[in-house]
Amino acid sequence: MDDFEKYIKENKALFDVHKADKSKLWANIESGLNKPESKTKTVKLWSHVIFKVAATIVIALGLFSLVNILIVGQANKNTQNNLALQELNDIDSHYKGLVAYQVKLVNKSTQLSSEEKKEFLSFMDELDIEYGLLKVELQKNVDNERVLEAIVINYKKRIELIENLLRQINSSKKMDNDDVYTL
Amino acid sequence: METNILYTHKSLVEESKLGDRNAQYKLYELYVDAMYNISMRMMHIKEDAEDVVQDSFIEAFNNLSSFRYESTFGSWLKRIVINKSINQLKKKKIPVIPIENQMYHIKEDTEDVPPEIDIKNIIKGIRLLPSGYQQIINLYLVEGYDHVEISEILGISPSTSKSQYHRAKKKLVEIVKTL
Repeated sequence: MDDFEKYIKENKALFDVHKADKSKLWANIESGLNKPESKTKTVKLWSHVIFKVAATIVIALGLFSLVNILIVGQANKNTQNNLALQELNDIDSHYKGLVAYQVKLVNKSTQLSSEEKKEFLSFMDELDIEYGLLKVELQKNVDNERVLEAIVINYKKRIELIENLLRQINSSKKMDNDDVYTL
Repeated sequence: METNILYTHKSLVEESKLGDRNAQYKLYELYVDAMYNISMRMMHIKEDAEDVVQDSFIEAFNNLSSFRYESTFGSWLKRIVINKSINQLKKKKIPVIPIENQMYHIKEDTEDVPPEIDIKNIIKGIRLLPSGYQQIINLYLVEGYDHVEISEILGISPSTSKSQYHRAKKKLVEIVKTL
């Protein structure tokens, strides 16, 4: 390096004779800069428009399917329950009528002592409680068919009970009558 | 020591990478005059130099994530300014490398350099050089690039850079002597 080069390098600072118009340049620079990213780099990925759109779609689909499942499930449950309830109502009204009629017959009967009536009615009450439990079970929708079957069996038992009772009454009547005839 | 220099203004650079506008402004304030002078030396026209500086800062800040402290931030930024200036000159069809023909007028024996020259005269002398010579003198003498770096910037071989520089310097000394 000769003196000329050395001289220039030593006086480099003197070559900077211009002053930039700082505020004007910065205004132009700032308008060209990217919008500031959030502080954490991990968020950077999600700030991308495509990811935002994708996330929105995923969330929307998720919500839609969730709501769909709930609505359809509810509807299914409702129709199932409605069917079961209608069935139950039909069975109910049929057997209720029968039972009520027969209970009435038993109560009317003069052949039975009040104790016998009481015993009979306590049996009926027990079956009534069982019937109540079965109805609750049916509302919970635990294996509809079996519950319905149990309800029918419950009614049948009551009827059987009443029929047995009536048969007893009738047979005792006959016996009484026979007695009369033998006399 | 060297690594310390590489990490000059590291915190400002890191904050700027995250898009912190204040940090970006502080870096800008630190370097804008130097960058403006570099560009002015190459472009000579105020508006052109301002455009180059603006574009350079925008490019630097928007691509700061690619800055990995392989050089100082200042020299990284300076390289952007130089490249943009060269590109602008090329666009304006102003020669950035010396034209061989211009050499024939120059005598080969101008090694006697006046001892004390006014820097202002040197600056004036550089302005009077053909455009291609101006760039190589600026890059080597003022900006402090070596011939390998200049060869990359101007797209010439290092040996061409060396020979052209010597010719340019001789021419400059000649001009300065007449001032």
